[in-house]
Amino acid sequence: MPTSTIYTLIKQLLTKKATNPFPVKYTPNNMHAAASLIESGDLTINPPVELPPDFRGKLSYDVDACIGCQLCLKVCPAEALVFKSEERKVKHYVSRCTFCAQCANICPKDCFEMTEEFLIAGLDKYSDDMILNP
Amino acid sequence: MKLTKTFDKALWVFHVNSGSCNACDIEIVAALTPRYDVERFGIKLVGSPRHADVLLFTGPVTRKMKDRVMRVYEQTPDPKVVMVIGNCGSTTGVFYDSYAIDGPIDTLLPDDAHVLYVTGCPVRPENVINGVKEAWLYLEKLRGDDK
Repeated sequence: MPTSTIYTLIKQLLTKKATNPFPVKYTPNNMHAAASLIESGDLTINPPVELPPDFRGKLSYDVDACIGCQLCLKVCPAEALVFKSEERKVKHYVSRCTFCAQCANICPKDCFEMTEEFLIAGLDKYSDDMILNP
Repeated sequence: MKLTKTFDKALWVFHVNSGSCNACDIEIVAALTPRYDVERFGIKLVGSPRHADVLLFTGPVTRKMKDRVMRVYEQTPDPKVVMVIGNCGSTTGVFYDSYAIDGPIDTLLPDDAHVLYVTGCPVRPENVINGVKEAWLYLEKLRGDDK
């Protein structure tokens, strides 16, 4: 039936698409040019899909609150935490982390917190922003 | 790495599970679904490493997968980029003291391999797209288009 086909076509054109166009709808011709446009505010990034509640992202570490009790080292399943004995603080490797939040749960001073940051990618797995308290 | 005209934007990816728990594999598939839809960037999952530009490795390399990982890497035509999805592949993650692991992947690949790490356990589909963005930036830098 041509009328029902036209009706379906118009309905599909008018309904909101399920695709989340993160970060931009199509590939820009030059990514460096697009990055400078984003910095100047001429190009806006479509936000990612909404995160679930209690999302466990990259860890944040409060160095001053840490008392060096090493409980987090005992519970870490991936040896992502290393104790710095002369400073009595810990060092955290983000690229070894499994994002289990056990260190955040056991810490008596609450110096660890799971942030909502999850867009982490790069050419160096041990760069400065991939190690907390380097 | 000599860059060709075809190795520009529409990167074709080949996915290798080198011993992962399937979480990262599911997230890669989720990135290909209409919800995230990486095919709007021309990124396509292909069935053979001989057709691929980018290799997606998930998981620490188990002993049985070591030879296969090397074979898949050698079968992929140059120029190629390796994307390591998830923390298992980049540092072996929770399997760091396992006797069955020969990884991480970058210790097995040759020194001139172009490796890009996507961090997460598992990664979110947006982070896979973010990793592709980093790959584009890197390729433009190699090509000299970073103006």
